[in-house]
Amino acid sequence: MTTLDTLELPETKDPYEPVVARLIETEPLTELERLFVFEPSDGQVLGHRPGQFVQVWIPGVGEAPISICSSPTRGRTFELCVRRVGEVTSHLHRLTAGEEIGVRGPLGNGFDMTAMQGQNVLVIAGGLGLAPARSVIEYVLDERARFDEFHVLYGARSPAEVLFRHDLIRWRHREAINLLVTVDRPDEQWRGRSGVVTKLFADLPRLNPERTCAVVIGPPVMFKFVVVELLARGIPHDRIFCSLERRMRCGIGKCGHCQINADYVCVDGPVFTYERMRELPEAVT
Amino acid sequence: MSARILNRDELLRLIDEAARDRRLIGPVRRGERTFYEAADRAAELDLDGPQCVYSPKAHFFPPEETLLTFERKSRSFVTHPVRHETPTALVAVRPCEIHGIRLLDHVFGAAPADEGYLARRRATFIIALDCFRPCRDEAFCGDLGTNTAHLGFDLMIRRLSDPEEGSRGAERFELTSATEDGASLLSRAGLGRTADRADLDAVRAYERSKASAFPRRLSCEADRLPEVAQRGYTSTVWERTAARCYSCGSCNLVCPTCYCFNLRDEVSLDGKSGARVREWDGCQLREFAVVAGGHNFRAAPAERLRHRVMRKASWIAQRTGLPGCVGCGRCDRACTAKISLVEILNTLAREQDHDHAGHS
Repeated sequence: MTTLDTLELPETKDPYEPVVARLIETEPLTELERLFVFEPSDGQVLGHRPGQFVQVWIPGVGEAPISICSSPTRGRTFELCVRRVGEVTSHLHRLTAGEEIGVRGPLGNGFDMTAMQGQNVLVIAGGLGLAPARSVIEYVLDERARFDEFHVLYGARSPAEVLFRHDLIRWRHREAINLLVTVDRPDEQWRGRSGVVTKLFADLPRLNPERTCAVVIGPPVMFKFVVVELLARGIPHDRIFCSLERRMRCGIGKCGHCQINADYVCVDGPVFTYERMRELPEAVT
Repeated sequence: MSARILNRDELLRLIDEAARDRRLIGPVRRGERTFYEAADRAAELDLDGPQCVYSPKAHFFPPEETLLTFERKSRSFVTHPVRHETPTALVAVRPCEIHGIRLLDHVFGAAPADEGYLARRRATFIIALDCFRPCRDEAFCGDLGTNTAHLGFDLMIRRLSDPEEGSRGAERFELTSATEDGASLLSRAGLGRTADRADLDAVRAYERSKASAFPRRLSCEADRLPEVAQRGYTSTVWERTAARCYSCGSCNLVCPTCYCFNLRDEVSLDGKSGARVREWDGCQLREFAVVAGGHNFRAAPAERLRHRVMRKASWIAQRTGLPGCVGCGRCDRACTAKISLVEILNTLAREQDHDHAGHS
């Protein structure tokens, strides 16, 4: 007879236990960055929000926090754009299709896409920031009717460092998006705009600040200047959403590594409103 | 279950009873100092000694532990969870340390829960030992109210007779329980007697004497600490004090409420298997806030010192509603550069009083 005592209770999921993800395909984006398409190998869906991240684990090497650069509207796979900077990312760059790695996540809060519904969406991305921004851009394009005007400003350091070229061309040919791209240091072949990303604000149409949400992702130095532009256009503090980077270790608000003042980037972020960032002096240093 | 009154011999028997199916951890004396370490019998423990050098957290949050093991296959891997649930009787834990354990329980228990930590904690039976006077000059538990604990343990010992005054024969210990496990051990052991009128008088005398035994060391009220720390964020005290900080992390090491950690991989010599390991980390160490690519978000010792003090005095309380510092004084004592947390807090409070006076 089965009684409560003999029933096996399922073990609670260990938050440090990764799920297995299989590499479907990979392609180089620049000299330092590669795009990876993964699929959870147990038939599951990652189930992320734009702006969330995963802890990528190479057994025997370690973990690294990586933003998800694809939209959850794109099926069972999820994509990571990885810059080769350390041990884990170097190992990632040597993976071939079919190999399996560990993944924990999705982690972090991600962007509140519901709050942006019915609003103009203005995305400003600098450098590698285009990777997490891409999850927002694809999401808005896939759910286009839910949003009003859609503007994307992207700045890279040089033409060779421009990420997601195929996507940029594809996006540019859609009427549903106003995409402006600039590079800090153009070469002879570059026929686009040049200068820092804030210069692109001059080419934006007037946006009703009460009906506009801004998404800002880029290196710390970019935030200060972009926020100045957004404030000058009257966009409210609580509708400027910034994604911050720190050294996430546990990813679940315990280990203390990603702390910015009282907040943990891994659970309170990585997305913070400018309103909250003003309370966090360490946020942009 | 009402209180039981035990003499010393009965107390030791009770502790041995608690440790019958558990490993026994308690204060073990080595020279002038005591450490929470394994012992075979209660008689080996020093129940009257000074505060242990380290807090007891290592016995359920070890300095280094394996979270899972893995084996690498040709193009994949498998993992195996690792659980350590050695039943443990942790004895003579002080009230401040109980408050520290409650904070760790809160942090590791918050969703998503750290099941490994919780498994160890569930397997730990805690016998607390109340303090009737400060255990050291650096302590300021009396200011914080952490010199007393009402929950977070299974049994609580209060020494109703002062060991320096009363003769051994007259020694009395009051035992109360805060959990069913505690109550059941107390009644199963059947030791001692229920409190009589004279015992209750002794309890009242104990509480009266305790109320005045802890001198005030903080120059502001404890509930103002978060505000004092916040307002002191831009003070020059950080630069001035951190100028002599070695960034050694000793303060983190001894602290009952420090729980920051690192995760890393260990690999066998043939590279085919390994373990995912958790180890303590400390926010005072130089590399703590370094990100991929090398940027250090707290490169200056002053930034790291401020980070620690802000956590202890303000941020942890903000996040958890529990004290981020329990006033044990270990960090002051452990600091080779004689940096004092209490002095920093008092300096901030004083600066703000001056500011206030200047403006009024």
